[in-house]
Amino acid sequence: MKKIWFILLICTGQWAHAQDIISFELKSHHVNRPLTTVLDQISQESNGNIFFLNEWITNLTFKNDQIGVSLGNALDQLFEGTDLTFLNMYSNTLVIIKDPTQALLRRSILEQAKKDGQKITAIKLGEENQINPAKKVTITGQVVDWNTNEPLAFATIQANDTLASIAADQQGKFSIVLNQGLYFLRFNYLGYQEKVIDLEATSDGMIKVAMEKQFTELEEIVVEGTQRKDLAVASIGKSVINMRELKRLPAFLGEADMVKQIQVQAGVTTVGEAATGFNVRGGSVDQNLILLDGLPIFNSSHVFGFLTSINPDAISDVTFYKGGISAQYGGRASSVLDIKSKDGNYDKWKVKAGIGMVTSNITANGPLDDGKTSLAASFRSTYSNWLVRSIRTNYADLSNSSVFFYDGLVKLTHIYSDKTKLSITGYSSQDSFSISGDSTFQWSNFQASAKLDHQFSANLGSEFTLGQSIYQYKVLNEDVRTASVLAFKVSTTTANADFHYEQDDHKLNFGIQLSYYQFEPGKFKPLSEASNAASIALDQQYSIENALYFTDEWTINDKFFVETGIRIPTFISFGSASVNIYAENSPRQITDKTGVIDFNKGEIIKSYINLEPRLSARWMLNSSSSFKIGYNRIFQYLHLVTNTAAATPQDIWQPSGYYFKPQRSDQISIGYSKEFQQQKYGITTEAFYKTIKNTLDFKDGAELILNDHLETELLQGKGLSYGFETSVFKNEGRLTGNVNYTYSRAFRRVDSPILGRSINSGNRFSANFDQPHIVNLSWKYNLSTRHFFTGTFTYHTGRPVTIPLSAYNVEAQPVAYFSGRNGYRIPDYHRMDLALVIECNHKKTNKIKGTWVISVYNVYGRKNPYSIFFQNSGLGVPIPYQLSIIGTAFPSISYNIEF
Amino acid sequence: MKRQRTIKKTFISWLAVLTLSFGCVERIEFDIPPARLQIVVEGTITSDPGPYTVKVSEGISLDANSPESTPIEGLSIDLFDSEGAFEAFTETAPGTYQTGGFIQGEVGHSYYIRIETADGKIYESEPDTIEPVGEIVGIGYEYEARTVEGSLEDLPADVFNIYADGNAGPKDQNLFRLRFTGTYEVLTYPELNLTTPRTYLPYKTPFPCSGSVVVGYNEDGSIAAGGRLLQVDECTCCTCWAKQYEPAPQLADNQLLLDNEYRNIKVGEVPINNATFYNKYLVELEQMSMTRTSFEYFRLIKLQKENASSLFQSTFGEIIGNIKGVNTEETIIGLFWATSIAKKHIFIDKTEVPYTLTPIEIKPFRCYDSYPNASNIKPEAWQ
Repeated sequence: MKKIWFILLICTGQWAHAQDIISFELKSHHVNRPLTTVLDQISQESNGNIFFLNEWITNLTFKNDQIGVSLGNALDQLFEGTDLTFLNMYSNTLVIIKDPTQALLRRSILEQAKKDGQKITAIKLGEENQINPAKKVTITGQVVDWNTNEPLAFATIQANDTLASIAADQQGKFSIVLNQGLYFLRFNYLGYQEKVIDLEATSDGMIKVAMEKQFTELEEIVVEGTQRKDLAVASIGKSVINMRELKRLPAFLGEADMVKQIQVQAGVTTVGEAATGFNVRGGSVDQNLILLDGLPIFNSSHVFGFLTSINPDAISDVTFYKGGISAQYGGRASSVLDIKSKDGNYDKWKVKAGIGMVTSNITANGPLDDGKTSLAASFRSTYSNWLVRSIRTNYADLSNSSVFFYDGLVKLTHIYSDKTKLSITGYSSQDSFSISGDSTFQWSNFQASAKLDHQFSANLGSEFTLGQSIYQYKVLNEDVRTASVLAFKVSTTTANADFHYEQDDHKLNFGIQLSYYQFEPGKFKPLSEASNAASIALDQQYSIENALYFTDEWTINDKFFVETGIRIPTFISFGSASVNIYAENSPRQITDKTGVIDFNKGEIIKSYINLEPRLSARWMLNSSSSFKIGYNRIFQYLHLVTNTAAATPQDIWQPSGYYFKPQRSDQISIGYSKEFQQQKYGITTEAFYKTIKNTLDFKDGAELILNDHLETELLQGKGLSYGFETSVFKNEGRLTGNVNYTYSRAFRRVDSPILGRSINSGNRFSANFDQPHIVNLSWKYNLSTRHFFTGTFTYHTGRPVTIPLSAYNVEAQPVAYFSGRNGYRIPDYHRMDLALVIECNHKKTNKIKGTWVISVYNVYGRKNPYSIFFQNSGLGVPIPYQLSIIGTAFPSISYNIEF
Repeated sequence: MKRQRTIKKTFISWLAVLTLSFGCVERIEFDIPPARLQIVVEGTITSDPGPYTVKVSEGISLDANSPESTPIEGLSIDLFDSEGAFEAFTETAPGTYQTGGFIQGEVGHSYYIRIETADGKIYESEPDTIEPVGEIVGIGYEYEARTVEGSLEDLPADVFNIYADGNAGPKDQNLFRLRFTGTYEVLTYPELNLTTPRTYLPYKTPFPCSGSVVVGYNEDGSIAAGGRLLQVDECTCCTCWAKQYEPAPQLADNQLLLDNEYRNIKVGEVPINNATFYNKYLVELEQMSMTRTSFEYFRLIKLQKENASSLFQSTFGEIIGNIKGVNTEETIIGLFWATSIAKKHIFIDKTEVPYTLTPIEIKPFRCYDSYPNASNIKPEAWQ
């Protein structure tokens, strides 16, 4: 009967909000009783009419704190988050109705998902008799890879499309608070099929979401929905590299490379094609922390930066932080590149191999026993000698040159239980090249680590990591008369204990990280008895870097998210060591040395303890746009000592100590992100302002190799960088891609009242990597589901250099007059690369999956200057020349196969 | 240093491989101000009797073929001392200004110059003090057999290493420079100069300074091809004295001193060949006291001159002198510095060379055009 009334009333359309009945104040006898009874009672008491369906409001009750509240407000509170609402008609009639929007939307989404062939998993938490739409439930869970069980860090979760998205944490864990009811949850992760869960939630519960990698089974062009950037919910200054898309981009010599992908991110630059590393927001190369499974990598380059020394096929996740860096990370002032290796497959063996013009690689992974132990192994090596030797050139040594490198990674994982997993990883990479009749240059990385993941309870999880990493380089001189080896080495022993605790709206991360460094800053010794080479060994250096950290990720409500953190790093440099003492207020040249202080073994030379506050906050303006802010202070205790513009393998790492204070970086960044048309388009912009104290710079003409008094060659100053970055994405359709523009400046100032301890007369000068304008464009055009035409274009302002301006005579000897430090710029850099990607049939039944990548690097053959160097003119003074490493279009082809 | 250069060379070689493969090296041009707009000042005051000289010239273009600089004439330059005295310089040659002897440099006193251009721009040097200098006690030399890599085989490159003993000034912190200058006598045959036209046989064209002329008959009365040479005057360009300057300033400091003395430190190298030891070789050594300012200036010059050209050479910067504009921001380069000098010289006779050298090459040109830094003016110390 009441249902008929309801329909009639809707049809008449003569309804309006009334005052009387909704103003009726609740009394004590209205609370804690079934709502059906109470509403009947109120109808009588107010002489009004209330229409409703019993089954809609079963289990609902008014609470004690609603005594004295008007009926209208009380019902608003009660119906919040449900699909129930009410209408007022005339002055004394109230109709409780269901808003069909959510239900219809949910049904339509689920139907569409089924139509699209998406699997929908139905999950029911709690029993029907527990339904109380006013009650909140907390759904926690973890998003993992379906095959490997690896957590999918920062996967995004969205409920009912209309509610704000949240992101999982680094362990793939998430927590979302909902009113009791029916929902569909969308899970997205780059490179994976979207996962939809049809959820009926009447009580708290935990769910595990296993996502499959993206394979299209339809033989038609489909709109890709999984490449969404989820800009609005992403943390400020953070990005995730999509390993699948990485391999579809054009690459030099056909080699996909993750650092090259980092270099086209907004706010990231590089000084040149063969330059090791990258520069982030005005930071030097050594200010980037590169972690492989939690252990630092000091040199991530093969062949001087042409390739990264980690095979992308061995990697599951690459996350890059350049602002709002979590307190979990520290020790480098500018950025963090966190690389996680893949677990093996627990179900079946898979083999993947790739053949390129320069390298070949093979990756195999699979189970060792009953689905609890897996092994993943990858190996990559080069056969680039043929390339070098087959080139026709007048350069005599070329035919006898050799270039070699390899990298390999093995990971053994055992799952003891749902709560405990142990991973053991070994990684090694080596580079070697020699030029006929000259030296052999070698450098290598080695890592071994064990990681134990353990879940103590539903709320408390942990990771324990123990590992050792070694980076070293050698220069072998094979000339009979001067046969010698120059060696440098740094070894790091790391022990970390990281904990994650979740409670209500808070996710707490805390832990302790310990690192012990042992440096061999330089050894030089003869290789044979006939050699005239001297024997020199600089003193070893020892230091310990520890850190305690605590972060709280607090989801205040649907709109506000704040991550606050504190990190307390300590650094101790200790003996044995001899430290030179110099005259006070002197230029600190070796000429100013007045004595030596000897430190015994284990005696503290210098210690530092600091405090690093961190903050990252997000304010969702609505479900598609957000405003973000981040602040971080980071101390850096290890410094890469170089006197060249580009980092080279022979650069040395120097710990903070008696003379070198730690660098301190303070960065504040703000950002705004907006998505359009259901995430089809997105725009994100960030601005940053960063100051760095105690940056390390070299004196003009500094000599650094085998120098046991580096403090005489280096100066510490201040750095300043600022800028803004804007990226625009198109995530769907045949053509997808993004374009980003960065305007940023990076300056240094080394000023001292003491003669000889300033650079550029104490005036501010551009940092080596100050490149104000940077534009990157990358796109992918789907010719079909298996054929892609991809391309990238990059432009940046030429980097600053110091050049000779004129010559003059000093005592009849011509001398060059140089500009101030970095007073001029080399020409701008721009380059376009194109690639055609042909993938195999995507049917899951295909046992063998192959991919061809045909690419052209530097399509229009731009002679981009890598650097300038000087050759003496007829006058006997240096004049500048530019070196273009890749001065021509360079085609390549590679083939990858997976079975 | 040498080791570092070797390593860098290796790295460059590898980049050269890549570059030859895919890249290229080419001259790069920058939009830089013309060199002639830069004023260069070079001047010294010593504790020796004057006159003291200041040379002012324009900067030299990097593309210039000759180190000759254009002198700047018509400047007004004054010398001031810390006692309040001043003396004007007089332009004795284009761009060369000299004092008249009124101010005599004294140890412990400071001096500076003021330069005013015709258009009213004023530049001043910072005061520089004459520090006391020690003395050079002795100069020695030692033969060393060496080779350098040739295209087919190693070639001889023997030298005499020059060593010195001495003592520094009386101060705790002694900065000084040991300036090495070598001089050797050489001989050429300018009277044998020939002119070779395209279509005719060569004919004799002796340089006038050779004192020889061409006459038509030989002494025996026969007609000579191209004529007969006849010595009619003294040859003024057959013999000259070539200078060998140190490749980079040699600076010394307390590091070299033990009880304020230095012993057997290497100050130079004399290459052994048929020119340097045609007769004998004069080694002149000057010990020059320095202030921190002049020491830094010459240290940067030394670094620039010693560093090999390379892609990964350490970056150089401005060599900061001690002269600045008073009423102008325009660039001025150079140093006016004060020093006291101790001198000593020795000769190394050709008989010290442990083998017989080939006769000096016959060069049919003026002597001072045939050898670097050569002049027909006999050095004072030459006996």
